[in-house]
Amino acid sequence: MTLVLASQQPALIVLLVLGTVAKMITVRSGGEPGALSRLGPAVLVPGRMQAPALVVCAAGELVLACGLLLTTHPLFRWGTVTFFTLSTYVLLELRRRRPDAGCGCFGEVSAAPVGLRSVARTVTLSGMALMTVWGETPGWTVFARPSWHTLAGVAVLVALSPELEEMVDRLRYRAPCERRRAPAESVTLSRLRSSGTWRAHQAELAAAEPYDSWRELCWRFFAFDGQGDRDVVFAVYLSGRRPVVRAAVVDRQDSGSMPEYTPVSA
Amino acid sequence: MGYPSVDRRRLLAAAALGREAGVPGPAPGDGDPVRAVTGEIRDVSPHLVVVETPDGREERLFITPSATAWNGGDTTPADLPVGARVVIRALHEGKVVDRIWAGITRITGTILSVEGRADLSVELACGPHRGRRTITVPHRAAGRLQVRHPRLEPGYLLDAIGVRRDGGCLALLPATSQPPYPARAVPPAPAAYAGTQQRVSGTVTWSDAFDEGEWGLAYPMMERSDAGCPEAEVSCAGLPYLAMGSLVQVHNQCAGRSANVPIVACGCVAGRFCDRCVECGTSPRGRLAELSPSTFVELGGELVKGCFNAQIGLG
Repeated sequence: MTLVLASQQPALIVLLVLGTVAKMITVRSGGEPGALSRLGPAVLVPGRMQAPALVVCAAGELVLACGLLLTTHPLFRWGTVTFFTLSTYVLLELRRRRPDAGCGCFGEVSAAPVGLRSVARTVTLSGMALMTVWGETPGWTVFARPSWHTLAGVAVLVALSPELEEMVDRLRYRAPCERRRAPAESVTLSRLRSSGTWRAHQAELAAAEPYDSWRELCWRFFAFDGQGDRDVVFAVYLSGRRPVVRAAVVDRQDSGSMPEYTPVSA
Repeated sequence: MGYPSVDRRRLLAAAALGREAGVPGPAPGDGDPVRAVTGEIRDVSPHLVVVETPDGREERLFITPSATAWNGGDTTPADLPVGARVVIRALHEGKVVDRIWAGITRITGTILSVEGRADLSVELACGPHRGRRTITVPHRAAGRLQVRHPRLEPGYLLDAIGVRRDGGCLALLPATSQPPYPARAVPPAPAAYAGTQQRVSGTVTWSDAFDEGEWGLAYPMMERSDAGCPEAEVSCAGLPYLAMGSLVQVHNQCAGRSANVPIVACGCVAGRFCDRCVECGTSPRGRLAELSPSTFVELGGELVKGCFNAQIGLG
């Protein structure tokens, strides 16, 4: 019976850690003003408090996860029960006051409006947390010896998680490359330097660093000073780990004759 | 370090990808060409206006009886004061005045503070590269402005057409309906799935934050690091990423005119407006670009109306 009561600890710990990581990623990448205002309980606090609210929530989840994993102290067990019970209340409140907002449970992935499945999930988690109060072993021992009860709990949670469908949709229907954020310029530059096109043109370069770099649609361009008053330009496709790389060598004299706009009446 | 000219980017990109480098300028075959002349009035009579252009030349343009003028309100060209800064729409090989806008300015930004009772003094943040600006909303224009800008509060957006007077700016007309959300909470672009969209529809506006007579546009969707603009990459129009120097083909759906216009500035403020243009039909939501006044006029836009329905694509 003790094993059954403690069997749901791994699921709780993993979910709490995932929640922490996802919230922190959202806060870090959600530097965009307004992005957080559509997410979870953060919408219930004033704008300037939204990021701190998510951070506090994430920190609380991490503390609870560590407590469940390493100790059998009732503080963490009852804390987890309280956390998920409060979450249920917050989700119900969110559903009532801001039907357009996502639950934010796993950060930006949980952007879909709060539905009954999300509420049912927190109710289930509250129940699981309540079971673990009487479990007599710390979480790590259950991790070492998972049981069918653990897998059954995970299966229920998977069925109640709308985020999985959202992630599958995102993988299946990605925005076109020209509308997606691209990897950092330094990452693209290192991909360029590991390409065969780079090696083929490396001898023509007069400088190791590009003098200009810009992104247009799904390409990032790097312009280098070349030997003999020429420019060497590389175009790196912004999708894939081994992207397509194109290169051209352009005379600077030729470039001086860029067509210029002249008024139609001239 | 070489010479990172943004104009040169077009040539280099075209060479790398094996495509044609576009040519900036109006598309041929768009009917009677329109020419924009900007400058300062040196002399004006009922039949002739003499304008000193930014490069120091004098332009002499004929005024026909059908020509109209705007100087904070409709007026006749002959009544414009000498010394006024003007934008002129000229037809017939650019020698005949069709319309003159004198002292016109566009006031676009995020409200920082509002002071005053009768005449309101409004401080605006106009983006990291345009700085702050303080304008006046005269009592007589406040009602008209507030009909479409009900929230004259810090954090909300303001977009108005005004006039320069005595070194200050007076907001006279709303240029659009105020977005109902704060400037920091721009709605996301509609979801897009794989498959390149060649052209994007929306609204195109103008701004006077360009050099006088400059041909170009400000575009919101540029990499922040490339553009040096920490507030870029925000738009609800689903725009593709482009760069400073990229050539954008702008098509004015109302006037049927097109032109290839280079990106010369970051349009981070334009990207915060998720509005529509109703100049000819109702455009999809989202500002695609801000044109310089000359470009806007040559594409057939009316500065006082402030926008036209447009489609853009890579030039």
